[in-house]
Amino acid sequence: MSTRILTEFELLTPNTIPEALSILNEFRDNVIPIAGGTDVLVAMKFGFSTEYAMSISAIPDLDYLSFDPNKGLRIGANATISQILDSKAVKQHYPALWQSAKIFATPQIRNSATLIGNLLRASPAGDCSCAVYALGGSIVLVSQQGEREVDIDDLWISYQNTERRSDELAIELRIPAPEPAGRSAFKRLTRVNEDLAKLNVAVNLVMDGDKCTHARLAMGCVAPTPLRLRATEKLLIGQTLDGSVLKRVMASVKEEINPIDDQRSTAEYRKSVSGVFLRRAIEQACDIS
Amino acid sequence: MTEFRTVGKSEIKIDVKAKVTGRAVYAADINLPGTLHAKIVRCYEHAHAKVKSLDLSEAAKIPGVVKVFAPEDLTTKFYNQSVIDIMVSEDMRGMLGDIEDQKILTDHVKHYGDGIAAIVATTEEAAERAAERIKVEYEPLPVYLNATESSQDGAVQFTPQKPRNMAFELPEPAFPNNTLGWGDADEGFKEADIIVEDNFYTSKQKQAQMEPNSYIALYDDDGLLSCWTSTQMPKSVQPKIAKLFNLPMSRVRIIQTVVGGGFGARLGMVLEPHICALAMALPGHPIKVQSPREEDWLTSPSRHPGDYWMKMGFKKDGTPVACDAKFVNYKGGYYLDGSGVAFTTGGWVSGLYKFGALRYKGESYFTNQPVCGAYRGYGNPQTNFVLEQLVDRACHELKIDPVEWRKKWHKDVGDDGWCAGVPYASCALDEVLDEGAKAIDWKAKREKYAQQTGVKRRGVGVAVMVHTSGAMPMLLEHTVCTVRLNEDATAVVAFACSDMGQGSHTTLRQIAAETLGFPLEDVSLSVGDSNDAGYDIGAHASRTLYVGGGAVMAACKDALKQLLERAATMLEANPDDLEIEDKQIFVKGSPDRKVAASEICSGGVYPFLNPQTGAPDTIPGQILGYSSFNPMHNSPPFGACFVELEVDTETGEIKLIEMVNGHDIGRAINPAVVEGQLEGGAQQGLGMALTEELYFSTDGKVLNNTFTDYKMLGPSDMPKITNVIIENPDPHGPFGAKSVGEAGLVAPVGATANAIYNAIGIQITDLPITPEKILKALNEKHAA
Ligand SMILES: Cc1cc2nc3c(=O)[nH]c(=O)nc-3n(C[C@H](O)[C@H](O)[C@H](O)COP(=O)(O)OP(=O)(O)OC[C@H]3O[C@@H](n4cnc5c(N)ncnc54)[C@H](O)[C@@H]3O)c2cc1C
Repeated sequence: MSTRILTEFELLTPNTIPEALSILNEFRDNVIPIAGGTDVLVAMKFGFSTEYAMSISAIPDLDYLSFDPNKGLRIGANATISQILDSKAVKQHYPALWQSAKIFATPQIRNSATLIGNLLRASPAGDCSCAVYALGGSIVLVSQQGEREVDIDDLWISYQNTERRSDELAIELRIPAPEPAGRSAFKRLTRVNEDLAKLNVAVNLVMDGDKCTHARLAMGCVAPTPLRLRATEKLLIGQTLDGSVLKRVMASVKEEINPIDDQRSTAEYRKSVSGVFLRRAIEQACDIS
Repeated sequence: MTEFRTVGKSEIKIDVKAKVTGRAVYAADINLPGTLHAKIVRCYEHAHAKVKSLDLSEAAKIPGVVKVFAPEDLTTKFYNQSVIDIMVSEDMRGMLGDIEDQKILTDHVKHYGDGIAAIVATTEEAAERAAERIKVEYEPLPVYLNATESSQDGAVQFTPQKPRNMAFELPEPAFPNNTLGWGDADEGFKEADIIVEDNFYTSKQKQAQMEPNSYIALYDDDGLLSCWTSTQMPKSVQPKIAKLFNLPMSRVRIIQTVVGGGFGARLGMVLEPHICALAMALPGHPIKVQSPREEDWLTSPSRHPGDYWMKMGFKKDGTPVACDAKFVNYKGGYYLDGSGVAFTTGGWVSGLYKFGALRYKGESYFTNQPVCGAYRGYGNPQTNFVLEQLVDRACHELKIDPVEWRKKWHKDVGDDGWCAGVPYASCALDEVLDEGAKAIDWKAKREKYAQQTGVKRRGVGVAVMVHTSGAMPMLLEHTVCTVRLNEDATAVVAFACSDMGQGSHTTLRQIAAETLGFPLEDVSLSVGDSNDAGYDIGAHASRTLYVGGGAVMAACKDALKQLLERAATMLEANPDDLEIEDKQIFVKGSPDRKVAASEICSGGVYPFLNPQTGAPDTIPGQILGYSSFNPMHNSPPFGACFVELEVDTETGEIKLIEMVNGHDIGRAINPAVVEGQLEGGAQQGLGMALTEELYFSTDGKVLNNTFTDYKMLGPSDMPKITNVIIENPDPHGPFGAKSVGEAGLVAPVGATANAIYNAIGIQITDLPITPEKILKALNEKHAA
């Protein structure tokens, strides 16, 4: 049951990254970082409590989104979903990410929610998480011990658990430079338009003519974390995306996912639309209709 | 047509600026000096249990706690939070039996979230902290989530007065064989060429009005109990509170704060008994309770869910020879208005079509679910979902156009209405259907969609409905109005009619101005305090403009009559020969023989004595118009809704494309308000059809009492809407007006279901119609 009272916590607002790292180092599991707070504050209303909360919003220069055709996309920890939506480079080179930002929540939420927050929430329903998973990339974690780059493939360990240690701050997401023949798309199913996904899917393909040379497929709400459809990806690589390949792909995804019944849908439904949905995302990416 | 001054104009709603600027003062905004804060402690462990022990000692120790309350620390008198008991005649009350089955705090938990203790503290926070310290031991009882379970042999009784947990069935004395209808249905079916029949389930939908529940009460040094509440029914809550606490009504004052939406959730009482009991226990302290949004789903009444069976017989030419129906609703833990929806659900069947014979049974059974009561439509949306789908199934089998069938077989002027004995006095349904069909391009689309192939299938569906304007003759309809003319000939109109956002204060003011012949800005309203106005049953049954409007008109006519009589004396003319324009009263045909209304009004207020004559120079006495109004009819409005949508046959997803909502308004006093009601209703009707439902774990816990999982359609989910408003003045309504408050919600439910049927040839019989259900049905159809 929700409460009208937020649990008591001490709010820390470091002004620099070193200050933030020293706070994290000192309080470890007793401090939770807050970016936009759109997940953390909702959790607090439903009983989550913490001794310390550290808002990173006062740290300057973390709200960047920069694109370099050779190096790719870099997104700072304070960059919001609205910024992603406003970026022409994202729209042009990373359609899956842009589309996931487009359907994301409402303008108010998009103005405060961050992309890094979405990844670190480690929700199997995270929309931008699904898109980033398909696009591939890495997240930069820093601590007083130094900096490391964690591949997105290794980020999510289990339901709401990530590779991040409690003394680490995520400062940046890196997404590789777009392939000239790359194509991507994102789609989701919801109960009403403004909702969390009951199923989401993102595809990232590299095409050589009508042959697929590289594929990354991700699906959400079908496992405890966002899921990469590795077996299904293999069915695409080296293939022309014709009817029979797509049929095999559709059959495969059903076998690869392990959805459950919950408030938003049923396991049966998720299984039965997963193939169609993936096929449509592929068609959308490749402009097949 | 008559020329009106303000009637028929879309005047700006009087509450709109305060609401959009955030300046409207809701109950939650009121902070009286010295306010203490209350928390009702609820049971979230069980949906059905006895409290074996309750230990409040640790809670009492929390700093800031003023007092903790177990059930026996407050009145343990039984009451009923609805107002059904004061709306019906003595005879009818007798037939309902003992319906007082609620206590302020209980030791028999009957639903998830039932209240078991209360805390008053200096801050909300202290009260909430203390609530966490309460120790309770429960004895779990079996949980019944539907009527079949709760009525089985050996089931735990909810209340000794209602055996087999049957809260209500149509009472024998008024309804022979516990049925409503006419003719012999069994004989009727023998004449049928085709029969359509099915079992349906209609879901537990919640009003989800914007304002959560906040209340304040103060039992002051003078022995006056004041309660600030956004109830829809201040004048009905007043006697109920007086009775519960054995106070004369003169010692109870209900102050209605701005009502942030009602839709039935505030029909009667919610936490008024609790806050008043706490105020009585702590005299001299204002006590405030602000209940979280999540508690609204658990404490204020929802729509009645239930099992609805219906069977209809038709001749080949479409003649509906018989209809047989039964609605068994899941009442929830307490009675409330247990008789109402069980009856009206059948009333709406009886009011719509000319069946050769009709037999309807309605029953209510207790269940371990939060309570049910009034929700916009009051049984009508449930009936619309069932009746209108079966009509379309028959039309499909008989190859008859659904619009044509409805035009031929709907009841009309002179036919008995939803309540036998009150024949319809006006009906514009044919025109509504014709105009609506034209607006959606019915014929062309039906033809086109019959030829479809492919993954995405379009469908267009229709449904019609009849509703009511006030609930006479079943329930009391009474509104008192006074009109006081100020010395400058402006008017103060006082009544206790509620404006829940539906615009009734705006439209009632228009009726007052029109009747008086005054400019709108010369009429002000005195509303809100139950002690400042005469009786009004409260806002329910789409009555406020119709009954309240009747009362306002009558009181204004009374004031006007007094004004004209005085003018007649002054002008030495016959009152019948006088006319009023721009607040000048003159003799018809001789515009020079005139007197200003302000001169008469001022003379009434300032009747100075003439020193020469010793008599007043003017006619003394402030003019006060008065009415105590009971309507002679219930002028049912008819409506027709057309919905066009697209079904994705690979995912079961539904995309709403367009809606035409047609309504037989009689007269639109304020067209923008009428459209607002239709569109707001459409949003709730579409939500009922497609997404809205409160659902439970097998042990009776409510799983989605948050907006995270109770899904309502947002602006981007809504189709394009066209409202078709047909004005065909009703002989009884004020200026010919009929109601629109509830109506807009009803037909979208059936029209949506019928559009899906048209698109994919499948009728979903379980609400809400989700993609999950559609896809499953499509797969089954495919397999077969
Ligand atoms: C009304 C509403 C609608 C929503 N709709 C959607 C939707 O459509 N799609 C969707 O995917 N989500 C949705 N969400 C969820 C939420 O908005 C997103 O997950 C959002 O991206 C979280 O970002 P944030 O900045 O608000 O995160 P926060 O709440 O601040 O943090 C989320 C998590 O990330 C951690 N974290 C954040 N930044 C850092 C950092 N720099 N280093 C280390 N840890 C960090 C936090 O500790 C926390 O565990 C919705 C939420 C609400 C309230």
